[in-house]
Amino acid sequence: MTASKAPGRLRAGLRAVPRILREDLCTLARDPLPRMRWLAWTPHVLVVLCAVLMGQLNAIELDGPRVERLPGPDPMLFVLLQSVAVLLALTRPIAAWWLSTAVLFLAAVFSENPAHWPWNDGQMALHTLLLFLLALRVRPRIVIEALVLTLLTGGLNVLLGLRRHTEDHLAYHTAVLNTGALWFVIAVVVGAALRGRRVARTRLVEQEELTAEERARRTLLEERNRIARELHDVVAHHMSVISIQAQVAPHLVENPSEELKENLAGIRHNAVEALAELRRVLGVLRSEDALADGARHAPQPTLDRLDELVGSVRGTGIEVLIEVTGERRPLPPGVELSAFRIVQEALSNVMRHAPGAGARVELGYQRRGLTVRIINTPPDRPAPPSPGAGHGLLGMRERAAMLGGELTTGPRPDGGYEVTAVLPAHDPAPPAAATQTAAAETAEDPV
Amino acid sequence: MTTTIRVLIADDQVMVRQGFSVLLNAEPDIEVVGQAVDGADAVDKVAELSPDVVLMDIRMPGVGGIEATRRLTEPGGATVKVLVLTTFDLDEYVYEALRAGASGFLLKDASADELAQAVRVVAAGDALLAPNITKRLIGEFSRVTAGRRAPHKERVGNLTERETEVLTLIAQGLSNAEIAERLVVAEQTVKTHVSRILFKLELRDRTQAAVFAYETGLVRPSAF
Repeated sequence: MTASKAPGRLRAGLRAVPRILREDLCTLARDPLPRMRWLAWTPHVLVVLCAVLMGQLNAIELDGPRVERLPGPDPMLFVLLQSVAVLLALTRPIAAWWLSTAVLFLAAVFSENPAHWPWNDGQMALHTLLLFLLALRVRPRIVIEALVLTLLTGGLNVLLGLRRHTEDHLAYHTAVLNTGALWFVIAVVVGAALRGRRVARTRLVEQEELTAEERARRTLLEERNRIARELHDVVAHHMSVISIQAQVAPHLVENPSEELKENLAGIRHNAVEALAELRRVLGVLRSEDALADGARHAPQPTLDRLDELVGSVRGTGIEVLIEVTGERRPLPPGVELSAFRIVQEALSNVMRHAPGAGARVELGYQRRGLTVRIINTPPDRPAPPSPGAGHGLLGMRERAAMLGGELTTGPRPDGGYEVTAVLPAHDPAPPAAATQTAAAETAEDPV
Repeated sequence: MTTTIRVLIADDQVMVRQGFSVLLNAEPDIEVVGQAVDGADAVDKVAELSPDVVLMDIRMPGVGGIEATRRLTEPGGATVKVLVLTTFDLDEYVYEALRAGASGFLLKDASADELAQAVRVVAAGDALLAPNITKRLIGEFSRVTAGRRAPHKERVGNLTERETEVLTLIAQGLSNAEIAERLVVAEQTVKTHVSRILFKLELRDRTQAAVFAYETGLVRPSAF
């Protein structure tokens, strides 16, 4: 640190000033004032400021040195009430308008400032602001009523004033009224327009919320409808097999007794009736997108077709592993169908929402049921937005709930996602065994 | 009946195959010659066993019934007739099967008599199976697909006036005997007309002719 170097640095600093100024100030770059939370109260602060400042103008004009005082209440009372009216307009615009109008009228009755009568500039400014605040909030019809009443009050002032003013004043007073009317109308028009815009926007938001709600409800119903359709479909298939078996049975024994035949005819009759009802139910449940379901060429899937499903998913380039724990066994059709659909939906979610991720399907056979878990690794790139989001989870949850099971979903610590369904199932082993023996028996029949 | 009708049953459910075999084998004039577990198997078995009629389940895994029907009834293919089985509905899939070349359809819960009768009617080919229901089905769904066959429309022009008349009556579900009665001609004459119509329109059988008549607008679905 030496003294000799200081002047040099100072000079250099001074030389840099124009450049710095140019860099700092000679710019037209856009830099908008950021939205700040406290700015939200700006309009209210401005209204209060206006009420105070215009109130002072009002005080000068209503109680100033040039003003001729009439017997009656202190003019400062009117000044104060006029400003209070504007403040009141922040919360109760219509009451505020009544107060302001009344004060305008009374002030004109009890004061005398020939140059600014019946309304002075301060009063007009405050009342304009008040009408603007009113127009921002209430329906245009009410604002127009308020506007007309304000002008009528002013007119009444002028008429009453004829008693103490000369004819010459009349023209001047009318001009004041006209000026006021112009201000008021502008305030009302601008305020009403702003309100219209705000109302429209609010309605739009409400509408959108309603639509979203409606859509969610419809999605749920559609999903339930689909589940019901599939289940009825499974039942119908079983029923038709029953009806066939009941017809076949008498052929399988030599000389069947009449009772046996009658019994079997009864079984068949009931199966056929049940089928007729099922057809009706399915007719009701049939969705318009039945064709889009596309699955009606094929029977409702069971877990036997899991490999097929996973194969088609692998075809899209996703790595999928299947892991089975416990002894694999046939489960009731409803459980098999639900498990298959849950895996299908979860894998399609992986495809949609986790591009580039790998997936693992775990089937855990327990004594009391089946646990299905679908896990995927984190996606290697962000997923494109998709409109159908959430639809799949809803369906999975419904399917699990229908069986008295549970579905849990959520992100994994590694950034992947996991869907776990616990589906209770009673063992349908006896019927399966029966099918086998029946098939073996009929196979022996001469063909 | 002079000859037995040879039948192949294609259904993915073993109980259904076995059941229908038992029921049909109980009929003296019908013999079940084989069973197929899916559509592809059905196509193979038909080539191998050349049955007269295939009972075809619409819903089978892999190659479904409609696709198998289409393959079996391709022009130049086997002369086998396809009788479509459906579990529960006479819907657009059944109609699709008829368009694909099936000669008729049957609900799986049909009685043994209905089943045997259906096989006989389809094998003989001189009447529509369940004419009223078939007519209604075709009438209902032909509207959906109407126009798809527009290019074929001109082929109607190849028919004589009498043949057009016969085609209309076929589409209304009349059997050869009924048509003969209506037109006051011998049944043999009607048979000749029918074969000529099928030949000229390149159609397999009268079911296809009925579908054709509806889809070209020759016959309009009446109110039902």
